[in-house]
Amino acid sequence: MVDSTATSAPPSPTFRPEETTRPNRVLLTYYGICSALLGPFFPLAFIPLYCKYATLRYEFDDEGISVRWGVLFRREVYLTYRRIQDIHLTRNILQRWIGLASISVQTASGNSTPETTIEGVLEAEALRDFLYARMRGSRDGDGEANEASSGNQANDDALALLTDIRDALAQLVDRSSKDA
Amino acid sequence: MSKHVDRACEWVYEGTWGILAAWFKVPRDSPTLPAAAGETIEIRRPDVGFLRYLTLQFWIGLAIIDLLLTGLWIMLLIAVPWLGIIITPLAWALIILPDIAAYVALHLRYDTTWYVFSDRSVRIRRGIWTIQETTITYENIQNVSVRQGPLQRYFGISDIVIETAGGGGISADGTGALTGAHVGFIEGVSDAATIRDAMLARIRATRSTGLGDERACESSRSATAHWTPNQLQRLTEIRDLARALASS
Repeated sequence: MVDSTATSAPPSPTFRPEETTRPNRVLLTYYGICSALLGPFFPLAFIPLYCKYATLRYEFDDEGISVRWGVLFRREVYLTYRRIQDIHLTRNILQRWIGLASISVQTASGNSTPETTIEGVLEAEALRDFLYARMRGSRDGDGEANEASSGNQANDDALALLTDIRDALAQLVDRSSKDA
Repeated sequence: MSKHVDRACEWVYEGTWGILAAWFKVPRDSPTLPAAAGETIEIRRPDVGFLRYLTLQFWIGLAIIDLLLTGLWIMLLIAVPWLGIIITPLAWALIILPDIAAYVALHLRYDTTWYVFSDRSVRIRRGIWTIQETTITYENIQNVSVRQGPLQRYFGISDIVIETAGGGGISADGTGALTGAHVGFIEGVSDAATIRDAMLARIRATRSTGLGDERACESSRSATAHWTPNQLQRLTEIRDLARALASS
């Protein structure tokens, strides 16, 4: 009875950042339905949304995400993964039907509207996991492991150095005691 | 009698859930967090006390509104009898139907609220029509506060408000849950103090202020500040040898 596969697991579970540059076509469907709900104001709502859909470009690189859209007034938002501090995944009922979700990404800026909202990615949960793995605080363990190993390396070097000094001193002591 | 009522309630409840899951794609299973090796994931729901608290709120609201509506209807019945009789079905529908909806809704609200704690982050899911999942890593948390009202104290539950950097304000949605761009709201847990302390311990453990300072610049300091036991032993040996050399 519970169709968990349709809701929790995206159709293709892997998210390929380098291939995700355009929102999925179903986003246009979603925009269309949203606008249609406004009845006679349909064109008023749909034309800007269509322009947004048509010009929306995502770019996921090693450091961050860039989101561009706009025909007359262009906007480009770039934010680095390391600055992400809250990820909100929101799906309303329409989005769930279509299989979409919007991911709002927050950094520590002072406004309540999200810095970037990523819409039109079917693998929303995988994308969230992708961001989660890169956001600040999530790589804590890795960082400490690296830190520990580099610390160990330094400690080993220091220990070797100290051992050398001790051995040299021991030779000196031997020699001075022989002289005496 | 009450057994039948219970069974009917369960049937209605399961049916509602079936419709929600099949048609409205409400996930019935819990959210998860991607876990690293050795990371513990704790999936929780609000405490049972939260359900009782919501139920009490519901009964109080029901008593007030229904008394008011019934009073109005009776007044109308006395003042203009024919109109009162005509609108009887409407009045009773107005009195009863919202109650049933509200009762089902509060159970569903209880069922669709999930908290997932991992060693680094917390994920909160809530909502039925609009499902919102918030993920916050402990490193980004600025403050954690615990709130408890008198009724909540009676039921032994409290709410935890997690805030991260950045403003935007906090607002309460229709159900009383706090929402905002930089806020996580964990409501109706019985061991709020424990959760808060565990979070604060993890916040302290991360060393950064959660404002984007990179750990690389502060890790080197602490790594070189401490001698290992082996190194201390070597140093002691060197001191002893130097003394021997000096005294000879």
